Amino acid sequence: MSLDPSFVWEALLKLLEALPTTLAITAVSVGCGFLAGTAIALVRVWRVPVLHRLASAWVTVIRGTPMLVHLLVIYAGLTLIVDTVTGRLGLGWNSARIPMIGFAYLSFSVTASAYCSEVIRSGLLAVDRGQREAALSLGMTTMQTLRRIIFPQALAASVPNLTNFVIGMLHGSTLAFVVSVVDINAKAEIVASTNWKFFEAYLAAAILFWGMTILLERAGGAIERRISRYRKGGVA
Amino acid sequence: MGLPFDIAYVFTFIPKLASTLLLTLGIVAGSLGSGLLFGLIAALPRLYRIPVLEQIAVAYASFFRGTPILIQLFLIYYGLPELLKMVHIDITRLPVLVFVILTYGLHTGAFVSETIRGAILAVDRGQVEAAYALGMTGPQAFLRVAAPQALAIAVPVLANQTLALLKETSLAFTLGVMELSGKAQSLARITQHFLEAYLALALIYLAVAFVLEKLLLALERRLLRHERPEETAGRFRLLKGLTLRRPASEMRGGAPS
Repeated sequence: MSLDPSFVWEALLKLLEALPTTLAITAVSVGCGFLAGTAIALVRVWRVPVLHRLASAWVTVIRGTPMLVHLLVIYAGLTLIVDTVTGRLGLGWNSARIPMIGFAYLSFSVTASAYCSEVIRSGLLAVDRGQREAALSLGMTTMQTLRRIIFPQALAASVPNLTNFVIGMLHGSTLAFVVSVVDINAKAEIVASTNWKFFEAYLAAAILFWGMTILLERAGGAIERRISRYRKGGVA
Repeated sequence: MGLPFDIAYVFTFIPKLASTLLLTLGIVAGSLGSGLLFGLIAALPRLYRIPVLEQIAVAYASFFRGTPILIQLFLIYYGLPELLKMVHIDITRLPVLVFVILTYGLHTGAFVSETIRGAILAVDRGQVEAAYALGMTGPQAFLRVAAPQALAIAVPVLANQTLALLKETSLAFTLGVMELSGKAQSLARITQHFLEAYLALALIYLAVAFVLEKLLLALERRLLRHERPEETAGRFRLLKGLTLRRPASEMRGGAPS
C-alpha cells in the first residue's frame, strides 16, 4: 500500500457529496447559537434577576464540558425522554422517528449558544456606556438603542471572534459521525475503508476543510476591513 | 434504547470513570509539553523572518488551525506510517498513544505559535532596540527583554488553550484510546444506562476543567507577579480594545472545543 496521489482527487470529488450536510450543520448551529447566544449575553449584561445566574451557570457548564459530551447527553437524554413520554401516552411512535441529523442540529446549537454568548457579551461590553446613554437621552426606546446603536458597534468589535467561532463550529461539525450522520468526516471514513486508502481519503477531507477555513478567514478579514473603514478616530 | 433512568448509576459510574482520568491528564500534559515546543520552534522563524523556514512555519500553523482535530487524528494515525515507510522507517508498531499525543501536540503547537508570535509582536519595538543599544546579543535581547514581557500577554491565552485541549482530548477515543470519554461509552454500552454514563462523564469533565482553571489562574498570578496590576488584570481589560495587546488576547476567542 503506497501513496496514490490521483486517489486524493477522486476522494475529494466523492467528499463533495457530503459537503451540504457539513454546511447545513454548521449553518444551523451558528444561526441558532447566534440567536440564543445574543439572548444569553443580553440577560447577563443587563443582570436580569435570577435569569442572569442561570445564564452564567449555563455558559460555565457548556464551556466546561466537551462538545462530544453535549452530543452524547442530548442524544441519550432526548431518546429516553421521548420514548418514556410516547410510551406512557401510547402515541404509537418512538424516538427512532426523529431524524438523526436533528440531534446534531440541537446539540451543536446548544454548544454554539454558550460560546457565541461569550463572543457577543465581550462585544457588548466593548461599546462605550456613553453611547447607550446618549441614545436613551435622544428619546430612543430600548429596542431602538439596541438595534441602531449598540448592536452595530458590538458586532463590529466581535467580528474576529465571530469568525473564529464559525470556524470552530465548522470543525466541530465533524462530530456528527457519533450520531451516524454522514458529513465530510464520516464520508471520508466510508471512502477510506471501501477503497482501503485511509491516508488519501483523510488528506482530501483535510484539504476540503482547510480550504473552507481559509475562505472563512478571508471573509472575516474583508468584513473587518469594511467595518473599520468608518471606525477610525480623529475628525477627518 | 437502554434501560430506564436511574440516578444511582451516575454515582457508581463516577469512580469507574475516574480511573481513566490519569490517562486523559497524561494526554493533556504530553500534548501541552510537545505543543509548547512545536509552537516555539514554529514561531521563531516567523519572528526573525528566516526565508523558507518562515513559509513552512506559516503553512504548518495554517494547516493545523484550518482543519478539524478529528481529521488530523486520522491523518497522522494512518498517514505518518505510510510517509515514513517511503524512507524505510517502520513505526506501525508504536502504541496508538504516541500518535494521539503527537497529533494533539502538533495541533496545540499551531495555536501556541500564533500566541507566541502575537505576544512578542505586541512588545514595543523600542524595548528590543534598547537592549541591542546596551550591547546585548540577539538571544540575550530575546530572553531577557522580549520574552518576559511577552509572557504577560501569552500566559492567559495559553491557559485558555490548555482548557480547550482538555476538552479536545475527548476525541482520542476515535483511535481506540480508553480515556474518559472512551470509557464512558463502553460503560454505557455494557450497562445499557447511556444517559447516566454520559452525565457522569460531563460531571467529571466539569470538575476537572474547574480545578484546572483555578490552577492555571494561580500559575498565571505567580508567573506574572512582577507585572503591574493593571497589566495582569489583562484578560478582561483587553476586550475593551485600544491596546496593543488585543490581537494576542483575541486569538482563539470563541472557538468551541
